[in-house]
Amino acid sequence: MSADSTAQSTPPPVVQVRDMDFCYGASKALFDINLKVEYHRVTALIGPSGCGKSTLLRCINRMNDRVPSARVTKGEVLVKGKNIHDADVDLTQLRKQVGMVFQKSNPFPKSIYENVAYGLRIHGEKNKSVLDEAVERSLTHAALWEELKDRLHANALALSGGQQQRLCIARAIATVPDVLLMDEPCSALDPISTLKIEELMHQLAREFTVVIVTHNMQQAVRVSDYTAFLHLGKLVEFAPTEELFTNPREKLTDSYLRGTFS
Amino acid sequence: MNPVPTNDNPFAGDNSGIQQRETAARWALRVGSYIVVIITLAIMLHIFIKGAPVVFQSKWPFVNTQFLTELPATLHVIEDQQGNHIETDVNGADAVKKKLGDDFRSEKTISYSGGGILGPIVGTALLVIVSVGVALFLGVACAIYLSEYAKHGKFLEMVRLAILNLAGVPSVVFGLFGLGAFVLTAPTFVDVPADRSVFAIPLGFTTLSFEGWDTCVLSGGFTLAFVILPVIITASEQCLQAVPQGFRETSMALGATRWQTIRYSVLPFATPGILTSSILGIARAAGETAPIMFTAALAFKDKLPWQKDLPPLPADASIFAHWEQSVSRFLGIFTESVQALPYHIYTLAAKIPQNEYAERAQYGSVFVFLVLVASLAASSVLLRKRLRAKYRW
Ligand SMILES: Nc1ncnc2c1ncn2[C@@H]1O[C@H](COP(=O)(O)OP(=O)(O)OP(=O)(O)O)[C@@H](O)[C@H]1O
Ligand SMILES: [Mg+2]
Repeated sequence: MSADSTAQSTPPPVVQVRDMDFCYGASKALFDINLKVEYHRVTALIGPSGCGKSTLLRCINRMNDRVPSARVTKGEVLVKGKNIHDADVDLTQLRKQVGMVFQKSNPFPKSIYENVAYGLRIHGEKNKSVLDEAVERSLTHAALWEELKDRLHANALALSGGQQQRLCIARAIATVPDVLLMDEPCSALDPISTLKIEELMHQLAREFTVVIVTHNMQQAVRVSDYTAFLHLGKLVEFAPTEELFTNPREKLTDSYLRGTFS
Repeated sequence: MNPVPTNDNPFAGDNSGIQQRETAARWALRVGSYIVVIITLAIMLHIFIKGAPVVFQSKWPFVNTQFLTELPATLHVIEDQQGNHIETDVNGADAVKKKLGDDFRSEKTISYSGGGILGPIVGTALLVIVSVGVALFLGVACAIYLSEYAKHGKFLEMVRLAILNLAGVPSVVFGLFGLGAFVLTAPTFVDVPADRSVFAIPLGFTTLSFEGWDTCVLSGGFTLAFVILPVIITASEQCLQAVPQGFRETSMALGATRWQTIRYSVLPFATPGILTSSILGIARAAGETAPIMFTAALAFKDKLPWQKDLPPLPADASIFAHWEQSVSRFLGIFTESVQALPYHIYTLAAKIPQNEYAERAQYGSVFVFLVLVASLAASSVLLRKRLRAKYRW
């Protein structure tokens, strides 16, 4: 397992959500959520549409701050042991260490190189060789380097949808975050591109902690170590993936997995 | 149960009220469009027929260079006994009269109608540069704030409404505002405050005196800037909103601050549109008369803004002194009053009685002005086309 867990026998979870309530204005979207995300594991969030998966994911890097009047009303979110709502938390540092990939691949209409280097540049990296090295490393990680190394300065919009999404992953991991949040990264992709990204997930888990929202149960089974099932803003069940899919403890989970859902 | 066809054509129209209304509506719309086109063409043709002969000529270099390179002057028209008219300027009049001798019958002077229109062209160019510079800076800053920083709500709606209202203010009101604000009270650094100074703040080495900038390019440019500000703010805000929200989310999710996000992943993609629409602002600023009447424009001026008498430098003046004088000559351009094309046209058109010479100068100026505005509009359209193709997402 990870090398930085020296003192304790079990390393502390990298993300810990404790008794959290979340509201959009007056309407409550999440109820009393408890979740622990372990280092170097893939955690999947599943559940019917509108149950709050994206909301929960966006609580972890405080992207919900962008939504006016949306706020955590109870409980806390700890990342690497620190409450991210503390006054002395710098949002830019938090988001540098908790990266995010969106459902819709949205590369900037700039060159491939500039897309990947974006995060490093805004954090003040100017050294060309450092940037070059980071771009190569990130693209390699995203299984794009061999395909694209000769056209790094071509416009990113010229890539295929699957390549664009992998480019977005490369862009998100260029700043070497501890946690990578992915909100339905494959929902707009064809089966082959999806497969490529699923393969990637296992590679990524060696260096990063991944939290992924998915609608596709097979995908959750294939890529994740832990799965959380959400329903109407409540976390119904959270367990190792195999256990949750073969032997769910809750009746609600069972009926959702069987597709006999009312 | 099959109905028996009673008619050879099952789809024959019944000439009902619906169809008649359709035809009437189509014709009403068509006639309306034709009227607009015909009137526009008539105006253009009229100006072309009257103006083109003033600006172009049949001999090399085919352009009336005098008209484009000389300052406006008083035209002297001398008539001889045979009824021939000789046109000349104030310096040439005596010589012509001497040469004619007894042949001389009469002399007419027509102000503003001789020479060319270089003064107004230069003045309008300077006013446009200042006003577009000021309006772009203020307008884009305001648009960025409204679209990226301000909280959505009642207050923001009120600000938007206020900006829209600004667009409906008559331009002569802007002229009076400019007179009060920039000509008479804007702050400036002086050694000794003038009597009219509203109040003065001594700063030791100099005094900040609210005594206005006088009628000059700067006053007129700032006034025009406020005239075109609503156009620029509205257009810039639309361009900013057209940049996908995903760019902002992605940038922020990578840890960028709000300003970094705007600077690196919003503005670069909005700038082409902002520049394109501000070209239309240029056309507007170039054409306004009322806002500059009290703030910058003169009916007549026999010098270009940079033709100013500065004390001659001593022969052994240092390079620094030369440099300093060039700078003050350059800055002096903006504190001079100028002639401007629209105001020049107005001056000529308002001359009573009208005569063929004034009319000629007037149509020549209108023609030049329209060519300038049309080329601005055309470049705006071209630019937009090219940038649209380049920035698609
Ligand atoms: N910006 C917002 N303002 C107000 N309510 C919101 C906002 N975003 C989401 N919601 C509400 O919060 C609830 C959870 O939404 P969320 O987007 O997290 O669902 P989801 O599980 O991601 O659904 P999907 O699978 O369709 O993406 C929904 O009821 C939704 O209507
Ligand atoms: Mg979602």
